[in-house]
Amino acid sequence: MSSIVIQELRVSIADKEIIRGLSLEFSTGEVHAVMGPNGSGKSTLAKVMAGHPDYQVTGGDILMDGVSILEMEPDERSRRGLFMAFQYPMEIPGVSNANFLRAALQARLPEGEELDAVEFYQRLYQKMDLLEIRREFTARAVNEGFSGGEKKRNEILQLAMLEPVFAVLDETDSGLDIDALKVVAKGVNTIRGPEIGILLITHYQRLLNYIIPDFVHVMSEGRIVRSGGKELALELESKGYDWLKAVKPETVGAN
Amino acid sequence: MAQGAVTMTSTELSSILSGPGQSSAPGWFKELQAKAWEEFEAEPLPTRSNELWRFSSVKNLGLDGYVAAPEFSGDPFSLTRPREFPQPSGRIIFANDSLVTAELLDPALESAGVIFTTLADALKKHPDRLREHFMAQSVRLGSAKFASLHKSLVQAGIFIWIPRGVEIHNPFEVFHLVQGDWTTVFPHTLIIAEDNSRVTILEHFVSANPEERGLACGVNDLVLNPGSKLSYISIQEWSRNFVSVQMNSTLAKKDSAALNLALNFGGKYSRLESVSRMVESGARSDMLAISVARDEQEFDQRTLQDHQKPDTTSDLLYKNALHDQSRTIFSGLIKVEPGAHRTDAYQKVRNLLLSDDAEANSMPGLEILADDVRCTHGATSGQVEPEELFYLKSRGINDLAAKRLIARGFLNEVVDRLPQERLSEYLHQQIEARL
Amino acid sequence: MSTKTDSIAIDRDIGDFYYNVTATRDAGVGLTEKTIDYIVDVKKEPEWIREFRKNAYHVFKSKPLPTHWAGDELKEIDFDVIRYYLASGDAAKRTWEEVPEDIKRTFERLGIPESERKFLAGVEAQFDSEAVYSNIKKAVAEQGVIFMGSTDALKERPDLFRKWFGKVIPTGDNKFSALNSAVFSGGSFIYVPPGVKVKHPLQAYFRINAENFGQFERTLIIADEGSEVMYMEGCTAPKFTTATLHSAVVELVALRGAKIQYITVQNWAPNVFNLVTKRGLAMEEAEIKWIDCNIGSRLTMKYPGVVLKGRKARGEVISIALAGDGQHQDTGAKMIHAADETTSNIVSKSISIGKGRATYRGLVHVPKHLKGCKNNTECDALLINASSRTDTYPAITVRGTGNSTQHEASVSQINAEQIFYMQQRGLSEGQAMSLAVNGFVNDLVSQFPMEYSVELKRLIDLEMEGSVG
Repeated sequence: MSSIVIQELRVSIADKEIIRGLSLEFSTGEVHAVMGPNGSGKSTLAKVMAGHPDYQVTGGDILMDGVSILEMEPDERSRRGLFMAFQYPMEIPGVSNANFLRAALQARLPEGEELDAVEFYQRLYQKMDLLEIRREFTARAVNEGFSGGEKKRNEILQLAMLEPVFAVLDETDSGLDIDALKVVAKGVNTIRGPEIGILLITHYQRLLNYIIPDFVHVMSEGRIVRSGGKELALELESKGYDWLKAVKPETVGAN
Repeated sequence: MAQGAVTMTSTELSSILSGPGQSSAPGWFKELQAKAWEEFEAEPLPTRSNELWRFSSVKNLGLDGYVAAPEFSGDPFSLTRPREFPQPSGRIIFANDSLVTAELLDPALESAGVIFTTLADALKKHPDRLREHFMAQSVRLGSAKFASLHKSLVQAGIFIWIPRGVEIHNPFEVFHLVQGDWTTVFPHTLIIAEDNSRVTILEHFVSANPEERGLACGVNDLVLNPGSKLSYISIQEWSRNFVSVQMNSTLAKKDSAALNLALNFGGKYSRLESVSRMVESGARSDMLAISVARDEQEFDQRTLQDHQKPDTTSDLLYKNALHDQSRTIFSGLIKVEPGAHRTDAYQKVRNLLLSDDAEANSMPGLEILADDVRCTHGATSGQVEPEELFYLKSRGINDLAAKRLIARGFLNEVVDRLPQERLSEYLHQQIEARL
Repeated sequence: MSTKTDSIAIDRDIGDFYYNVTATRDAGVGLTEKTIDYIVDVKKEPEWIREFRKNAYHVFKSKPLPTHWAGDELKEIDFDVIRYYLASGDAAKRTWEEVPEDIKRTFERLGIPESERKFLAGVEAQFDSEAVYSNIKKAVAEQGVIFMGSTDALKERPDLFRKWFGKVIPTGDNKFSALNSAVFSGGSFIYVPPGVKVKHPLQAYFRINAENFGQFERTLIIADEGSEVMYMEGCTAPKFTTATLHSAVVELVALRGAKIQYITVQNWAPNVFNLVTKRGLAMEEAEIKWIDCNIGSRLTMKYPGVVLKGRKARGEVISIALAGDGQHQDTGAKMIHAADETTSNIVSKSISIGKGRATYRGLVHVPKHLKGCKNNTECDALLINASSRTDTYPAITVRGTGNSTQHEASVSQINAEQIFYMQQRGLSEGQAMSLAVNGFVNDLVSQFPMEYSVELKRLIDLEMEGSVG
């Protein structure tokens, strides 16, 4: 079993502190949801885990199986098994989806070893079918001219292909209509299992109707202010985020 | 179909500055060459204060030291084979401006009346067509002196004539190989597409040795008669010490569609002048280029989209990837002549700076003398976007590989504009092999 | 409809009138060293200025007309028939009452004293070669702000004047900056002390009254650290049949954290050659913004520039050019990035009417090893008639991986469907055109101060009314 442990994390961007002593743990085999209002620092948490260069970690640590990842480049974190689905996936003009995925998978192979093209396409098509993505998609440039829903589906396809140990999904539900949401949820539920730990970052409870979390954390002003089971999401839905303001931060950490 | 080159030079290596040598060309052509030589001598070398040479490293243009091409020693096929397009319609190979082989590989084309031959052969067999078209288009973008030099010393050229209605699907392929220090070559291309014909030409410029100095001074004239479609693709791989001045002209008549794609890799200083003239309504020209600049290479690109008549279209996309201390210059002009209404013209240059010492100069220009037009241009210079890089890295691709992938994607976009899938796939491979 | 046309007939040539004014000081026709001696003597200038002028005269003589890249119209200027200095004597007056009657009525007709009362912090009015009126509101003067004629400044404040004079635009920058340096007279000098923010604009009005005349004012504005100032200039001249020359040099210096806005609304008569050099120097975190509206003249050549000398300096050029029939507006911008994290922005909109020609010429330079520099350039041209012309000639040089530039230009014409739609709602074709053109420049017009933007819209209306059959 693998785990990620976030300890007393503090993060700033351009001298403004956004995450203020956040602690959180999750392991393979579990699905955690982090919910919170706009500006609570949810997306920052995802980006910092992935190693975005704009953010400065001013305190605390993020450990993957006991090893700090803070000094690692984003690509090294990825190859170690950490995946982030972007809220706003980038467009990479001129680079086809197939070539992009091959480059990413090739990066995971030992030097001198070549990716088997036939096997690659077999697996790719199988995952694409699951996510209801058409074949001609492979030749299109990464995310270029994609609709919001197509971009999100592409993120899940990459998740399925790269088989990470941990996946952080940053507001994957935003901008999706109900049909697209169901397709994405189906993809995530297929990947879900004892070999992967998933952290869902979301503003709305809606996604959690389709991907049932094991644990729910509520984030506010850069900290986890409440943790509980899946029923916490429902409670939040009915009471709204304002309800949090009355709640004092309690002891953090899920397990 | 093969025929020998016309011997135009003696065996000792004379300076190119001694003028046109002995030749078996017809008298009218020799006269033309003698006159061109006088024009060449009268014309001064360019200086930077001339707007058409602004930013250019004109110091590279001295003509002392260059000699007429010696005999090519070695195996030309070792250079052509790895570059060949599978199944071309015909192939001509020149080595140091001497003919190696000229073959029309599709026999059906011969019976259809297609002419695919050398300039020397065409001077004998098709003098009227040459008198009408040989360097008939005026040089507009600054290289008049080099055009005269080319005209007076040209030997190795191709002449292609596609009869009315003939559609050729596989490209013709032409190679110009160079070997020997201080060698000069004068590649010439003249292609005439008659009404409603269709043809594609792929031309390679290759140095045998990556260090040898040399000068290439080439001219390319494309004539598109009504309804024809002509695509011309060049892959320039001169040595890194080469100076190249290439002058391309396209004349597009009613409802014809021209496409130019230049892939530039070699040369110390390479100037490409490309003019498209839309002389009748419905004409269209696509002008595309990719330049990968390394070390101290300089690519100097000057273009003109000349809309002379209403309802004409042009679309230009030039992309430069700059490494090391390289420089690029792009100066382009969309010109809409009075009365050329409903012109639709587009021009875009994009520079990707991959080194702190690289320099990109952009001069995208418009001169619009008609009011009912749609003309836009854009020029951007920038580097790999940090957010793009982060996205790739977050998928496990390291910094260097990610930058390469982005640079390749940047260039691929140009090749993807080609309508022929087999050709663009071939070009993707050629680019891949050179990056 | 007819009443409207009547009122336009009066207004459309707002500057096209002149009263006979006898000049008591006249350097005569043509330019020689003697002309310069005359100017120096009559203005009682120090010897270093005589030397400076004579040196400039030789530079002017040695430089060719820039016809190799600009229009051939320049050849229409006959430098030998122009009068280079013309004045009615005496120093500028502090009150309008003291201004001689024949000159005062010109400015009254142009509405200058009225505007001054309404919204200006200070006014300088130049008539041919010299300022006839110069006044600054007491409250502004008490803050230490200096606003006076250049001639006065060079005598009264040589400490400030000499330090920056000719430093932003050297004599030999171009043929016309050299000409100005040889024969300059008039123009404003402004100094704003550290931290002072001048709330209301300072205004200068340049009026050419005489035929065959050349106006060569010289303006120098220094905004000391953290200060802010807005300067506006208006220019008019009557229509003469021969060429009149206006060739100013304007230098701006914005020290650390200072902000200068320089606004020009020119409405020259169609015989004026307007060949002006304008440049600013922006130090650390300073901001220089040129807001420029060019209407009228035979040929205008003007490319306001900013040298971004200090970290995080910002430069901006907002330009509207309206080229009427037979006119050529050759305008643009220069942005020289010379420090890290400097940004520049150029927005240019031009309208060509009849055989009018609008040209954008730009220069953006980002040298090696600078980081975080950005330039954005947008040029949009609108063509009204089939014979109208527009050109765009930018030159952009970028080095290194830390900087980015973006240039976009487009050419369009008035949408005929739009005009039809408006006509169907009862507007005349001319009114519809005016509306469409105003819509085209609206985002830029709104950047001018209110009083000017109203004036501008009116000027555009007038030009457009005349453009349709």
